[in-house]
Amino acid sequence: MEDQLQRALNFANYRQSFSIQRKTLKEKIEAKLTYGFGGGIFKIDRELISFTQTLIDKERAFGVVILDQNETPVLVDDLQHFQDDIISRYFEATNEYFEQYQNLKKSRTVEKLLDL
Amino acid sequence: MKKGALIFAHNNRDVDYALMSLISGGLAKKHLGIPVTLVTDETTLAWMKQSNIHQRSTEVFENIITVEKPVTENQRRLWDGVELNKVVPFANANRASAYDITPYDRTLLLDSDFLIFSNRLNEFWDSEEDVLIADSMNDIYGPSRVGYHDKYISDTGIHMFWATTVMFTKNEYSREFFNLVNFVRSNYQYYGDLFRFNTQQYRNDIAFSIAKHIMNGFETDRTTALPALLTTIDKDILHSVDSNGKLTFLVSPMFDSNMCAAAIKNTDVHVMNKQSLIRNADALLELI
Repeated sequence: MEDQLQRALNFANYRQSFSIQRKTLKEKIEAKLTYGFGGGIFKIDRELISFTQTLIDKERAFGVVILDQNETPVLVDDLQHFQDDIISRYFEATNEYFEQYQNLKKSRTVEKLLDL
Repeated sequence: MKKGALIFAHNNRDVDYALMSLISGGLAKKHLGIPVTLVTDETTLAWMKQSNIHQRSTEVFENIITVEKPVTENQRRLWDGVELNKVVPFANANRASAYDITPYDRTLLLDSDFLIFSNRLNEFWDSEEDVLIADSMNDIYGPSRVGYHDKYISDTGIHMFWATTVMFTKNEYSREFFNLVNFVRSNYQYYGDLFRFNTQQYRNDIAFSIAKHIMNGFETDRTTALPALLTTIDKDILHSVDSNGKLTFLVSPMFDSNMCAAAIKNTDVHVMNKQSLIRNADALLELI
């Protein structure tokens, strides 16, 4: 098995492993941006954050119906609370993404790429 | 509403599904914070006792339910990397009984080779969808390794959902759904002719996909599904697992012996190479 790993490391060019690591990192971040609320499933993104801010600015912050990622209507009693939650998750995820992506970029060998 | 996970394990002479279930169940319990029930048979249970994993199993599983081992002529080619393979029997025909067996109101039905390292699936417990199935497989290397028959049940068939993860609420709709899965299984040749898929091996993925298609009014609705499964195929090898939960894989981009390396952590992963999963069982058990 060690021989196999060595052969793998020899074969693997840096970009190939970098590409896989970036993909799996993205997967991990996407998981963190999935948000279940009120029977619906939301993908937390800039659009959702901006839309909720627009509604709050328009003083439609209570008893609001918004569509989840499946276009299912979901009643949100307190939109400010909902937005606080998604913003908190968004930054938690994107900060982690940034930090781990920087680590990936700094890793110049396959071995270092694997050293998460 | 009581929620929990359900895992089926029926050993054959080559694969210790009970051990894999212990790992998979332990990780689900740890990362999702839910009870887990094992469904197995008397011979597998006897093996669990003989191989000294029964005690640990009673700690991990809330219930161990024994059922008749399904009689099967099903066989699959089991790969362990690109170089080793053999044909083994595969007892997977009783998955549709999950509805009757589950002790939970909302159940996460898991394959024993699906390892949970995040709490992502917790977001779906309160979904109003009665039955959710993983939408697709997301290959660790990238889309170039995903074949047409990983996405559709046949050349001319419908979209394939992956029954590796299924979440359902115990209600009338789900009961009909699982009855339909069972009906498709019982009439597999007929549905094979209808949807033009290969019937040599019974696949739950196909039966669940057809049932979902029919229950949705003969339409495919991919919007209501569990997330795609990050998957390492059976020609990849789980090389090692460290104490921090990092899994290192040898990935075969072209399905040959040239491999590259990849590592994942804190991410749910479907490990199709069962032999390599079992080789790393001790390290994985340390993580639960």
